[in-house]
Amino acid sequence: MNRAAGVTGTILFVIGLLIFGWKTLVLHLPVLPSNLENLWRVELEIDARGAGDRGSVRTALPDSDTQQEIFDERQTNDRLVFTIRTEKTGQRIGVWSGKFDGVHNLSHAFRVQLSDQPLPLPTDFSQAPPADVGETYLKSSARFPADAPEVRDLVARIAPANPSDPLGQMRLLLGYVSDEVLTASTGSDDALLTLAAGEGSQTGKARLLIALLRAAGYPARIAAGLRLGAQKEAREAVWAEAWAGGEWLSLSPSLGFFGSRPPDLLLLRTGASTLVEETGLEAMSSRYRVLRESLRANEVASFMVPSNPILAAISLYRLPVGSQEALRILLVFPIGALIIAVLRNVIGLRTFGTFMPLLISLALRELPLAFGLGLVGSVIALGIVSRLLLERLQLLLVPRLGVLLCLVVLAITAQSLLGRTYEVKDLYASVLFPVVIMTMLIERFSITTAEEGLPSAVRRLALSTFAAACVYPIFRITTLEHLMFGFPELVISVMGLLVWLGGYTGYRASELWRFRSLARAREDGTA
Amino acid sequence: MSLWSRLRASGVLGINQRNAEYTSRWNRRKHYPSVDDKLETKRLLRGAGIATAPVLAVARTHSEVREMLRQLDRHASFVIKPAHGAMGNGILVVHERDGDWFLRTGGQWIDRRALSYHSESIISGAYALGGQPDVAFAEERLTVHSELRAISIEGVPDVRVVVFRGVPVMAMTRLPTHRSRGRANLHQGAVGVGVELDSGVTNFAVCEGRAVEVHPDTQQAVLARAIPSFERVLEIAVRASDQTQLGYVGADVVVDHDHGPLVLELNARPGLAIQIANRSGLVPRLAEVDRRVKPEMSWAERIALGREIARRARSGELQ
Repeated sequence: MNRAAGVTGTILFVIGLLIFGWKTLVLHLPVLPSNLENLWRVELEIDARGAGDRGSVRTALPDSDTQQEIFDERQTNDRLVFTIRTEKTGQRIGVWSGKFDGVHNLSHAFRVQLSDQPLPLPTDFSQAPPADVGETYLKSSARFPADAPEVRDLVARIAPANPSDPLGQMRLLLGYVSDEVLTASTGSDDALLTLAAGEGSQTGKARLLIALLRAAGYPARIAAGLRLGAQKEAREAVWAEAWAGGEWLSLSPSLGFFGSRPPDLLLLRTGASTLVEETGLEAMSSRYRVLRESLRANEVASFMVPSNPILAAISLYRLPVGSQEALRILLVFPIGALIIAVLRNVIGLRTFGTFMPLLISLALRELPLAFGLGLVGSVIALGIVSRLLLERLQLLLVPRLGVLLCLVVLAITAQSLLGRTYEVKDLYASVLFPVVIMTMLIERFSITTAEEGLPSAVRRLALSTFAAACVYPIFRITTLEHLMFGFPELVISVMGLLVWLGGYTGYRASELWRFRSLARAREDGTA
Repeated sequence: MSLWSRLRASGVLGINQRNAEYTSRWNRRKHYPSVDDKLETKRLLRGAGIATAPVLAVARTHSEVREMLRQLDRHASFVIKPAHGAMGNGILVVHERDGDWFLRTGGQWIDRRALSYHSESIISGAYALGGQPDVAFAEERLTVHSELRAISIEGVPDVRVVVFRGVPVMAMTRLPTHRSRGRANLHQGAVGVGVELDSGVTNFAVCEGRAVEVHPDTQQAVLARAIPSFERVLEIAVRASDQTQLGYVGADVVVDHDHGPLVLELNARPGLAIQIANRSGLVPRLAEVDRRVKPEMSWAERIALGREIARRARSGELQ
């Protein structure tokens, strides 16, 4: 063992651990994630382009209520003025206004804790709706045509008035729109067209339900928000709210809920379904990005504003969602390097390329392992076959690699068309980067096949895949991700371990086997 | 005693220890190019009057391939190699020719176009470490010394001498087999035969990880054979290592039938299988060299030292 490496490694390891210890023991930052199911960080990103005229971008801002708690709101202005306006209904609207010149990158981010406890349904319906509610939300309008004869007829036919059980009547109306009208993303947004076609968009169905509710005498309004899930880009959702027993109930004829919102639904706006609007711009695009958080509100706060000012300034939790996501992956890399170092220098695995297994597992991190390895396998098999064909054409190296690359691209395209198990978007993200790696892997494999024979090449490939499979889990362990992201100083400790390992001069496990005859010879000699 | 400690007791050198304590300590990175580029090695050794396999033609670019093949028209047999190849990869041996048809090792006839394709692949870097552009060159095909003909097949055996700080510490000869397709690489199925440094006589042999006494193809005894011109083999191995400024070198020497001992190539990261072929660990010998070698020693004195250390290691005096 190399002393200098041992000492340096230990020092680095201890430095990282000391910072970690100080943060957890003195500043009481939480070491392990709480694994809360329903804490999210949501970020609205807007690219707005203007030609130098005054304009504005408006977005609905969420509010805390019994089912969701909003906190830690922040926004970027990019040369504009941001103000919050409160509408008559209480809905908050964030407004960026000013002179739009060129592209402005705006964002509004917040954290939300969604409740998974359903609310009890009201039982006392004696209370009449307040005057303003009745006035605003019972009217028939073009969007909510409560006075249209077909709407009135339908209400009379399927859900005749029943003063003793208003919820029952609402359920009948909801049941009709849920079951008898199909949901289609290409369907109409119009209530009457939706009714006539028996098919409508989420908005069309919600509007139809609202028209029916109003016709039946219940104040009703539209609501819009996001469904939060594994996908990074959130899906927008539109549903209805009806006033009964002194409160607003949520009803969705597309997602199928009544009373409370489901635990994955974030309410952003009521009274209108557009989430982002603009005036005076040339073009605008917007998207909601969502990241699942593993810390409680107060824990996040302790990371974001630790008592120590230096820590506060360098807290990774203050970064935009996009950068956080990238860093969460990046900070796990050193662990992967450590595993590879152990596999190679202590175990003695021979792989294709030093960090290629790490890159392969990184590339496959979005997919389940078996599917990922299947992908690798099929791509490689294709590569070998095509390489054999290329050998006959006697192409020069770089064009030959280029052809291989084309084949890999085609194979992946075919896979995403045939497979359809995973959304193409995910596959796309996970596939762009490894194409080149796969191509190099195939080339190395075929060269090894030519030089050392197929068994040797297959062995190397199997060992590379094994190494990739060893590294793979680290990209999926939430605890590890939280540890490395919340305590990036642990990278220094990992570095220490690597330095320490770098000074390892003992045998590799594979060498014990390789040189076993020498050990025996010695024993015979002394016996 | 565990396998681990028995290996330690035998003084077996592992890869980690070789890298940390020998190659990275004694071989400065900047001296690597002189051994990693075979043409550069030849230039270096020629300057010092050390014989190497004669070069027939060189192609540095794709456009020079045609000219290289034209120059080879005068030769009935030759070897095409990459200047930066490793482990014998990319080496094409032509035994015989019939006009534009060439007979490769293993009995395959190929045409001029295939030869030119192979050379171009070399230049593209297909066989170079890291895939960087390379140089193809043609060497005279060496012929097996008559005393070794019975124990080599389809190729030329070489003698690998590990030289540490200018002192030879261990040697083995590598005999090509049918399985290794004429190559002298142990992991491809060649026979590794330990050679006693003091006597130049073979004393132990392994093939595919098993001890053998005869060549697997010819069935002739491989043990107790004297390597021809062994004195001279050691001399050029040691003097070649002196030229490189590298402290830990594997010198590959071929005893050619006509030219005598020639340096084939030098290796800055010589493999460890030589220990298996010699049934002996390198560590005690290397440690003894560290204790005894002095900078002012001549190459002859260093060879004498290496032989003495080897003799004592074999008799169990070194620990």
